[in-house]
Amino acid sequence: MAKTNISDSAATRWLVVFSQLLSLAALALGLQFVINTTGGTLFLFSSIGPLLVMASSAAVLGLGIARLRRRHSLFQVASFEPGQVVFRQGETGDCVYFIQSGAVEVLRSDDGTESVVARLSSGQYFGEMALLTSQPRNATVRTLTASRLVLLGKQNFLTMLRVMPSTREDILKTVQDRAMEQTGS
Amino acid sequence: MTTLMRRLKYLTAFCACNALVPHVQAARLPFENDPAEYYGSRFFLAMLLLGAGLILCSLIRYRGRLQGPMSWALLIAGVVVVPSISTMFGTLLVFERAERVEFCGSCHKAMQAYVHDMENPASESLAAIHYRNRYVPRNQCYTCHTSFGLFGTVQAKIAGVVDVHKYYTGNFRRQIQMREPYRNDDCLKCHAGAVKWSVNHEGSKDSILAGKATCLGCHRQAHPAHTLSK
Repeated sequence: MAKTNISDSAATRWLVVFSQLLSLAALALGLQFVINTTGGTLFLFSSIGPLLVMASSAAVLGLGIARLRRRHSLFQVASFEPGQVVFRQGETGDCVYFIQSGAVEVLRSDDGTESVVARLSSGQYFGEMALLTSQPRNATVRTLTASRLVLLGKQNFLTMLRVMPSTREDILKTVQDRAMEQTGS
Repeated sequence: MTTLMRRLKYLTAFCACNALVPHVQAARLPFENDPAEYYGSRFFLAMLLLGAGLILCSLIRYRGRLQGPMSWALLIAGVVVVPSISTMFGTLLVFERAERVEFCGSCHKAMQAYVHDMENPASESLAAIHYRNRYVPRNQCYTCHTSFGLFGTVQAKIAGVVDVHKYYTGNFRRQIQMREPYRNDDCLKCHAGAVKWSVNHEGSKDSILAGKATCLGCHRQAHPAHTLSK
């Protein structure tokens, strides 16, 4: 059973859009009140308006706090079902993943066609490129089997590289090897 | 965007604010406009339009995606900051505008008859006499039906919210009735200090101030508080 679905991009987007629509509705009530002040418009604006603003603010601030916590997370464990997407190409990267158990495949989409560029298993890691380059994810990662992944937030990952030079060299070598595999040289 | 385009955009927004808000205040004479309400309502309108603009910009540009600091800035500004400030300013405007006669009269089924009577130049009711001669210069309904001091204001606002709720849920009787008899204090808060009142009520002043006699006990016979047409 998935403990946390890290790649909630669709749900996150819907939450963001929904909160924006709630705020837009609150602003519309205010506009209606200021243009035509009656008992009804006053009642709607003064009772429903604040509730809409509070709900949308809570959603956005909750999302921000969740993102901030994930960015600064220290080894958060997440379980994934087979075939579940961990993250998609183009998303913002905020953590690196260490495979505790299971297997994943790395997919790259070029010109609409998706191809498998690598398969990773227990003991390996992925997602470091986006953190090192501050670029969006350059591939989609999907689980092949039921997997447990350990997440390390971006800030802690970069701190780890800074304080542990040997780890930094290992990771940079892996990044270089993967880049060479992808270019075929 | 060029400087000229940017200036045109701001000018358009400013004209829109000024075009919309005066529509609400068209019935008031220039000296009746409260500067706080005048500028406050324009600022409130500007904040509403700004918030709507930020949200629409974010929706069109990012469509719910959170990529980078600009998307977060637009989201937080448009959803949290601007609507919160607008709501706070709007609440002040609510307190101000809920005191107006036209606001009271907007609950047509319950209040229109009383407002019509008050504004009727031929009516001899107390409300009409006070209104016609501007003994109460503005917000006549609110002034007479609100007790003195801060707590009187709070009571009036709470009662107003309850009344609005009752009206829009249909839980009111026709003809409406006051929750409690009209209090002497609500007449005396204006009249008690007047020389004319002291002279005319020399014999009954003590009993009125002690609450043993009511103002409307005598005045209702000659001039009822409101005269409603059938």
